[in-house]
Amino acid sequence: MTVAVVGLGNVLEGDDAFGPWVIQWLMAHWEFGEGVSVEDLGTPGLDLHPFLVGHEHLVVVDTVRSQGAPGELRLYRKAEILKHAPQPRLSPHDPGLKESLMALEFRGDPPREVLLVGAIPGTVDHLIGMTEPLRAAVPLAAAEVVKELERLGCPPSRREPPGEPDIWWERR
Amino acid sequence: MGQRITVDPITRIEGHLRIDVEVDGGRITNAWSTGTMWRGIEVILKGRDPRDAWVFTQRFCGVCTTVHAIASVRAVEHALKMEIPLNAQFIRNLIIAAHAVHDHIVHFYQLSALDWVDVVSALKADPAGAAKIAQSLSDWPGNSVQEMQAVKDKLAGFVAGGQLGIFTNGYWGHPAMKLPPEVNLLAVAHYLQALEYQRKVNQIVTLLGSKTPNIQNLAVGGVANAINLDSSSTLNMEKLYFIKDILDEVGSFVKNVYLRDVAAIGSMYPAWLGYGAGVTNYLAVPDLPLDGKGTQFDLPGGTIMGGEMSSFKPITSFDDPYFQENVTESIARSWYDGDWNRHPWEEDTVPKHTEWTPEAKYSWVKAPRFGGKPTQVGPLAAVLVGVAAGHEPTKKYLTEAVGLASKLAGTQLGVQHLHSTLGRHLCRAVRCAVMFDTAVHQWELLVGNIAKGDLAIFNPPVFPKGEQRGFGFHEAPRGTLSHWIVIENGRIKNYQAVVPSTWNAGPRDEKDQRGPYEASLIGNPIADPKLPLEVLRTIHSFDPCLACAVHTIDVEGNEIGRIKVL
Repeated sequence: MTVAVVGLGNVLEGDDAFGPWVIQWLMAHWEFGEGVSVEDLGTPGLDLHPFLVGHEHLVVVDTVRSQGAPGELRLYRKAEILKHAPQPRLSPHDPGLKESLMALEFRGDPPREVLLVGAIPGTVDHLIGMTEPLRAAVPLAAAEVVKELERLGCPPSRREPPGEPDIWWERR
Repeated sequence: MGQRITVDPITRIEGHLRIDVEVDGGRITNAWSTGTMWRGIEVILKGRDPRDAWVFTQRFCGVCTTVHAIASVRAVEHALKMEIPLNAQFIRNLIIAAHAVHDHIVHFYQLSALDWVDVVSALKADPAGAAKIAQSLSDWPGNSVQEMQAVKDKLAGFVAGGQLGIFTNGYWGHPAMKLPPEVNLLAVAHYLQALEYQRKVNQIVTLLGSKTPNIQNLAVGGVANAINLDSSSTLNMEKLYFIKDILDEVGSFVKNVYLRDVAAIGSMYPAWLGYGAGVTNYLAVPDLPLDGKGTQFDLPGGTIMGGEMSSFKPITSFDDPYFQENVTESIARSWYDGDWNRHPWEEDTVPKHTEWTPEAKYSWVKAPRFGGKPTQVGPLAAVLVGVAAGHEPTKKYLTEAVGLASKLAGTQLGVQHLHSTLGRHLCRAVRCAVMFDTAVHQWELLVGNIAKGDLAIFNPPVFPKGEQRGFGFHEAPRGTLSHWIVIENGRIKNYQAVVPSTWNAGPRDEKDQRGPYEASLIGNPIADPKLPLEVLRTIHSFDPCLACAVHTIDVEGNEIGRIKVL
């Protein structure tokens, strides 16, 4: 079995760095077994498609537009992601996930299960640095990813001691 | 005054672009192109180490990551007057070529073919008839009756399930859709096959770049790909042959399917070889350097002004003064403080937003100019420049594509038809085939150089005290990209990126000259103002990618209708 865990988001745009940040957190705290790939893919748009091919399951971490306070998490499954036709949205990479999944559905080899762990952003603007509510949500989102991997039967193992997440875009 | 239509957003991927047109008597009489988001990357880079700039610039846009990384290291190397080792140049070139092939395939099949292909009509197709047409174009194995039947069944099953998924929101049944059902079916079949080949060719970028998107193997001064033919963890012959195998497989798709599909579809929309010319000043920079300093190239560069091939002026090196001296950006009609037209080294980026005012300021995109003139960039420019420079591979594939389109259309087409909406698609396919041949050449150069015993990959950069200025250009899939850097005491003092979609999508300037998108729309027909498919056709033919041109503020304008695009 193979599972892709992908973080989406633009590290140069404030809270949109959430997905990449959670990926760095996961890699610092956990070791992943064979068949589990964990990657920060930035904002690939439809170029997300090649990374979804050949995986049985998919876990995506991203910012989402939803009613609620910044930093609140929302979980979605495949049917909910595919329910509506592609819509314009706050961040520029929006069409990527939905359209890539739809293309795979049409090809006939989509991932069987999908979990989207989404955080509601506060500030998405042309600056580096995530706001406090989003920082606080990072371990919570990471825990949801770990829970999903456990459910799928490929639990990661804890790094002891944990490393420091490599938030390279915030270093000067 | 005619009827005003606003189309917003117009890109299927990445970034926000809004187009306003006036329609009178079924024709577009005026047009405005608006980037609705501001880009602030220049501000983010100030004060940073120039050696790190490429890591940040490739995050401008998640689709064009590689190209911004390449342009950035070239800009710093130019400022430091550096040479890089041959292996580093060839490895970068292979990444550039593989990325370009990937990007062109995605653009045609996944992002713009559906402007011409009616997916729903394919349900009415006779699979045997579709296969017959496909086989008349090439003996590609994916053109069999079984393949066409399987795709038709798949599509029918999809529609029977009550949904069109990825194809929802298309302009199905629009009067401007002209292809017979069989051609629509073969296009859907090739759409599915294209997904596979664009993924394959991207593996080259992943292998050489360590990761994609956002390659990790670059450095100012070279690359980080250790070469050791006896080691399994470095670049070795096994990996090089893996790359060669992918190239051969994908090359066959590009030549037998992509190039011929575009010629065939083009021949069935002859009117669109007449619409969409707009600005006929063209710029393409040379690329895929053959030496360490960038004085000889596999692909030529230069300018053509006023559509006159005889006006060709070459751009011949990474240090070319004709290029350096002629690029400016105007903010007369853009939401920045001031109304200047400046050289990139002298620019600043101070946002000043107002209402959307077509007579004054109406876009976040700046208006680049070459020698003061609006100038079109992209594969059309690169192909025209290639022809003018006598570049054999460009001439070969252009002759092949135009020959096939002429035969199918029953009329002799020539270079004059390339200044058009479909001409841009045709030239992109030609450029893709040229890129494939060039990738193979670069692969041979790399293997040959390693075989000579040269394993060098990196020359360390040295930053002198004081100020240095540099520029790095790259002929990216969407056209000429240039990064301009001012370094002071080893830190970035100013940084500007003049990107392809800025050249093409930019607004008017201080002389009221329209940008390429705007000019290309004038005269386009509009069959149904509520479904302005024709606007999308012309704009999509440029391959817009606005995330790197602009960034994140939404602007609401006065519009009579908001048209959503798939």
